[in-house]
Amino acid sequence: MNQKQHIHEVEGLSTKTRMLEIKDLRKSFGNNHVLNGFNLELFEGENLVIMGKSGSGKSVMIKCLVGLMQPDSGSIRVMGKDITKLNRVELDDIRTEIGFLFQGNALYDSMTVRENLEFPLRRHKQKFGDIKDTTPLVTEALESVGLAHTMDLMPSELSGGMQKRIALARALILKPRIILYDEPTSGLDPITSKEIIELMRRVQKQYKTSSLIITHDVDCARVVSERMILLVDGTNYAEGTFAELASSKDEQVKAFFK
Amino acid sequence: MQKTTHLFKSFFIEVGELSYFAGRFFREVFSRPFEFKELLRQCYSVGNRSILLVGVTGFIIGLVLTLQTRPTLEEFGAVSWMPSMVSISIIREIGPVIIALTFAGRIASGIGAELGSMKVTEQIDAMEVSGTNPFKFLVVTRILATTLMLPILVVFGDAIALYGSYIIENLKGDVSFVLYFNKVFNALEFSDIIPATIKTFFFGFAIGLVGCFKGYNCEKGTVGVGLAANSAVVFSSMLLFVLDFIAVFVTDIFFEI
Amino acid sequence: MKKTSKETFNLGLFVIIGMAIFIAAIYFIGEQKNMFDKTFTISANFNNVNGLMQGNNVRYSGINVGTVKNINMINDSTINVELVINEKMVKHIKKDAIATIGSDGLVGNMIVNIIPGEGSAQPISQGDIIESYTKIGTGEMLNTLNTTNENAALLTSKLLDIVNSINKGKGTLGMLIKDTLVAGDVKLTLENLKHASLEANNTMLGLNALIHKIDMDNSVAGVLLNDTTEANKVRHIISNLETSSLEIKKVITNLNETITNIKEGEGAINYLSNDPEFAKQIEESLKNINEGTKKFDENMEALKHNFLFRGYFKKLEKEEKRAEKK
Repeated sequence: MNQKQHIHEVEGLSTKTRMLEIKDLRKSFGNNHVLNGFNLELFEGENLVIMGKSGSGKSVMIKCLVGLMQPDSGSIRVMGKDITKLNRVELDDIRTEIGFLFQGNALYDSMTVRENLEFPLRRHKQKFGDIKDTTPLVTEALESVGLAHTMDLMPSELSGGMQKRIALARALILKPRIILYDEPTSGLDPITSKEIIELMRRVQKQYKTSSLIITHDVDCARVVSERMILLVDGTNYAEGTFAELASSKDEQVKAFFK
Repeated sequence: MQKTTHLFKSFFIEVGELSYFAGRFFREVFSRPFEFKELLRQCYSVGNRSILLVGVTGFIIGLVLTLQTRPTLEEFGAVSWMPSMVSISIIREIGPVIIALTFAGRIASGIGAELGSMKVTEQIDAMEVSGTNPFKFLVVTRILATTLMLPILVVFGDAIALYGSYIIENLKGDVSFVLYFNKVFNALEFSDIIPATIKTFFFGFAIGLVGCFKGYNCEKGTVGVGLAANSAVVFSSMLLFVLDFIAVFVTDIFFEI
Repeated sequence: MKKTSKETFNLGLFVIIGMAIFIAAIYFIGEQKNMFDKTFTISANFNNVNGLMQGNNVRYSGINVGTVKNINMINDSTINVELVINEKMVKHIKKDAIATIGSDGLVGNMIVNIIPGEGSAQPISQGDIIESYTKIGTGEMLNTLNTTNENAALLTSKLLDIVNSINKGKGTLGMLIKDTLVAGDVKLTLENLKHASLEANNTMLGLNALIHKIDMDNSVAGVLLNDTTEANKVRHIISNLETSSLEIKKVITNLNETITNIKEGEGAINYLSNDPEFAKQIEESLKNINEGTKKFDENMEALKHNFLFRGYFKKLEKEEKRAEKK
């Protein structure tokens, strides 16, 4: 609770609270320098899109953000706390404020949809107090993605688009303040992609979250983004709104929008 | 030459990583929180689902061993020694090893493939993000489940194997149930049954450990999953024989048989 | 949720059954070792325990009643063996019981046999030391048997010689035997001979039956060799055989003397021609002896081929060869 109060105090001071702040992030695998001093700021209520070619280090960056990978150097602040310096319990506390939508959905295929959604509640109960019945929470999350009827199905019985929605519902169940989307439209047909993008916008309004979206899908970026960062060779190459970047004269920037 | 050194090097690296993995298991098994419910679930899927396999294997071991030994013993007029001979060889060696091997074939590959595909599809990462320690939830529970279930399965399999042996003796010779098992228990000593049971705990641990290790450190892609499942079986079977050798060696020293 | 509780139930069932089997196995093994019965301890002193070990079975009249608890060297020739006996047996074992050490079949473990005493002594009590005797080993027994066999073979050849000489020297014999006194002597000797040969024959039959028994018995001839009564029987038969062979020897010496007497020829009459009945008798008894020894040989041969004794006889042969080489 202290932490939340602290955030509210900060909110009072500046109009825009920094939800995420990455400074000079570096990560390399052997001789392959994936991230070379990457910087990022995500403000409250903002939709930030990061675009980059595959292999440009987007996924590595997002994994560093939630502590799945340790960066070589640089600082990552999530709601004011440097996650590289947190212990396990504190890290888990911070993670309750972050929803993560994985590229491949990462639904647990040995569990039903319901169990999948209940899974984050197992350890993060403290956020809601000690709840006995998880059904209202599960139903609420499923309804917000429009799939309340699938509760007792197995993930393998669902289509790709539905799986994506379930994964989103799972990311939302803890009512996080930040949602990280890792390639939300990859592997989906254009129509389903559009549906998912619509859903993302709706969720954004309903849950009042800040979103960081990693994608190489221009259509997705156009609809969702309020601000964009182009990631080239592990650093921020360009920054601006979609319109600004789309009209850029720079050859490398142009290449993204072809 | 370079190839050989490389092979040795990678073997030592593998063993080293496995040891680290085992060390991590022991660190995490005693720290909170305990995933008790998941442990029960794993015990069920590892134990109960293997009963049929172990039962059939055990029964056939009993039948075959008795059928094969009978002519030789008959030649020496020592058929009455059959129960003692069969029971000692089943309880001490054949039962634990063969049942552990079939168990490894089923469980190590299953765990390797399951954890491997969970790794590849980022399910393990998803657990981590959901605030659940995936090592505790997936690895610790599975290793504990195999460690606890294999001894019970071996006891089960041994009992069924002896029953199979009794059936052959009853059909070919004329031995009653009571006489057969009287002879069996007369031949057996605590020094047969206790070390044999203790070593099955280690067998179960090895099977779970190698299966989880291979799955948890799976390479990307479908090929990686297949490789993880395959090498889990090979590596754990090999480890079983090494452990068996050590177990027999140690038993020999302590019981001076 | 329902599915999970059913799974848990099945798991519990499986674990409990497994544990129950394991505990039952432990219990039964323990029971075989008399671990759960009330026991009392007695002991016996031996000169040689033939490799008896702690935990070997103790049998009373063939029933398992306990185990060997401890084996201690008391002095340079006495070994004290402590026996743990099931308390239920206390009223059956008397103070005059005798402990022996035997083996459970030729290849089996060593065991302690307690044989009931003849008299009606007091029941045994805690800490008693009972009588013991060290029974002859299988090896010794077979040695004796072999010597007897060699003796018998020697006798047969000698008898054959005599018969031949009698057969050849019909005239001489007829001529020589004239004295009634000598004739009476010869008759008596021959009767003795007949008697002895008959006895030998009986003994053979006994031995034969016994050997048949060995063959018949499924177990590894175990019963014969560890049951004291049986072993005593064998011993008895062998000593009988020896006495009878000694008797035969005596008779033959007598016969030889008589024949020498006759050969030297003082007042010999043609007794033999006068009494054809008697001549026939001589011939028959000689035949009997011959047959008896033949049977004995056959028995020995059978014994040699019995696989259990094969090793023993091979060893003997080797020793003989070695002796010959020297």
